[in-house]
Amino acid sequence: MSQPATITPGNGPALAPAALSIRGLTKRYADGTLALENLDLDIPAGSFFGLLGPNGAGKTTLIGAVCNLIRLTGGEITVFGQPGSGMSARRMIGIAEQEPNLDKFLTVYETLLYHGGYYGMDGGEASERAEQMIDAFDLRAKRDVEAPKLSGGMRRRLLLARALLHRPRLVILDEPTAGVDLELRHELWRYIRGLHEQGTTILLTTHYLEEAEALCDEIALISDGRIVARDTAEGLKLSHGVDSLEDVYLRTVAGGRIAMDRLEEVE
Amino acid sequence: MNPLPPVDVEPHPWRGLAWLTRRECHRVLKLWKQTILAPVISSLLFMVVFGLSLGDSIAEVNGFEYRVFIVPGLIAMAMAQSAYSNNSSTIFQARNDRYLDDILSAPMSAWQVHLGYLAGGAMRSLIIGVVLTALALPITGAPLELPLELILAVLLTIGGFGALGIIVGVYAQSWDNQSFINNIVILPLIFLGGVFYSVSRLGSPWEQISHLNPLFYVVEAVRYGFLGAADVSPWLSLGVVAAITFALLMWAQVLFSTGHRLKP
Repeated sequence: MSQPATITPGNGPALAPAALSIRGLTKRYADGTLALENLDLDIPAGSFFGLLGPNGAGKTTLIGAVCNLIRLTGGEITVFGQPGSGMSARRMIGIAEQEPNLDKFLTVYETLLYHGGYYGMDGGEASERAEQMIDAFDLRAKRDVEAPKLSGGMRRRLLLARALLHRPRLVILDEPTAGVDLELRHELWRYIRGLHEQGTTILLTTHYLEEAEALCDEIALISDGRIVARDTAEGLKLSHGVDSLEDVYLRTVAGGRIAMDRLEEVE
Repeated sequence: MNPLPPVDVEPHPWRGLAWLTRRECHRVLKLWKQTILAPVISSLLFMVVFGLSLGDSIAEVNGFEYRVFIVPGLIAMAMAQSAYSNNSSTIFQARNDRYLDDILSAPMSAWQVHLGYLAGGAMRSLIIGVVLTALALPITGAPLELPLELILAVLLTIGGFGALGIIVGVYAQSWDNQSFINNIVILPLIFLGGVFYSVSRLGSPWEQISHLNPLFYVVEAVRYGFLGAADVSPWLSLGVVAAITFALLMWAQVLFSTGHRLKP
């Protein structure tokens, strides 16, 4: 087992590197859209970090950049001190994307088995881990069913099981509970909380502000490709002089400011 | 639910490639009626209809019975088309349904992803080639004169057409795009490359024009391996096929290395 790199400033104690460190990240798409603009972000190891913002703010682009799924225009990413595009960094990340992107030729078991293989597990280890995840996410009855034949909730379970199968140190969850019923949502959060308590760093994007408030140690608000606010939920409310995270959200992000102004005009 | 703590291990250097290769072969075997049976039946029908039915009424071609003469070209055509269509469809589908993201985010280098995708088309193509050879030789009496030269020609052919399939799969914007390349470019060029006739019989200028067709050299290289004779030097045909294959492999590698059209 390799140990994560450490940073030692002067003669002081060794500091664990951030789980995710982003410097000057810029992404301009081929059509000219500037999705991220010179974005800096550090997520401490072991934290439960929320990333909130309206549609089109740059959340999914940011996640894609961290997971090697988009080409960067500029900037640097490190994961636990390792270069983001390197193999070690990729091994440490698990991602559950917003849209189900499951291999239509594979069953639930095969989806997990092959994913383990892509991440370097041998056959026995990948199989054992796949069976564990099938039980953990209550997929036993669907073990040999192909992905297109699964219900929406089952697909969501499988996406999460796949993201966690190789036991990543940084788990990125992009709207993991979108379209999921209340019971499953609570079940998933219980599991993710458990992971966090075991030392996994979680980066979460969600539109459910109350969930972000309940789960996350820290929250960053992103708008127009930039981080516009960052603090604990309480800190954000205090600094904006409001009672709810929803009000912070409406005041902070661009579209929300307009909505807030209109609300105040009506009042 | 019982979560386990994260683990911190270095990624294995080649296991990802082995699993991607296995996944691609798994897909080929799962769809075996479509990926293997259909092209084998189609090629056998060509051999029966053109070779056995019409063969007796056609004089020998370059010293070989007609039904023997067409066997290498038909096998080359089936193998080339299957390597192409397999890779173009698997890449396009993975892009379209976005499960390619699971590969691109995994700790695998660009060349490993490239090689893994090439492997599926190569396996499908080799199965078709072996089955057709095993059936065609006893049926038609075609010889297998130079197996090493044949193996070299076959490997170059499936490498080149597999890479072409990947390139088209990466650029394709619809299913129509990839079948267009197969039906409008590959199939006519193979037919015009001398599968059913010897281009030396065409006379000037059609013989010279045929020599500009790159697929003519594919047919000739494979024919030389089976029959030990061809219209052009085997070194010329193998050299042209190797050069084309190398260029296509490099192009496909650039696509995986840069992420062009694979990543926004």
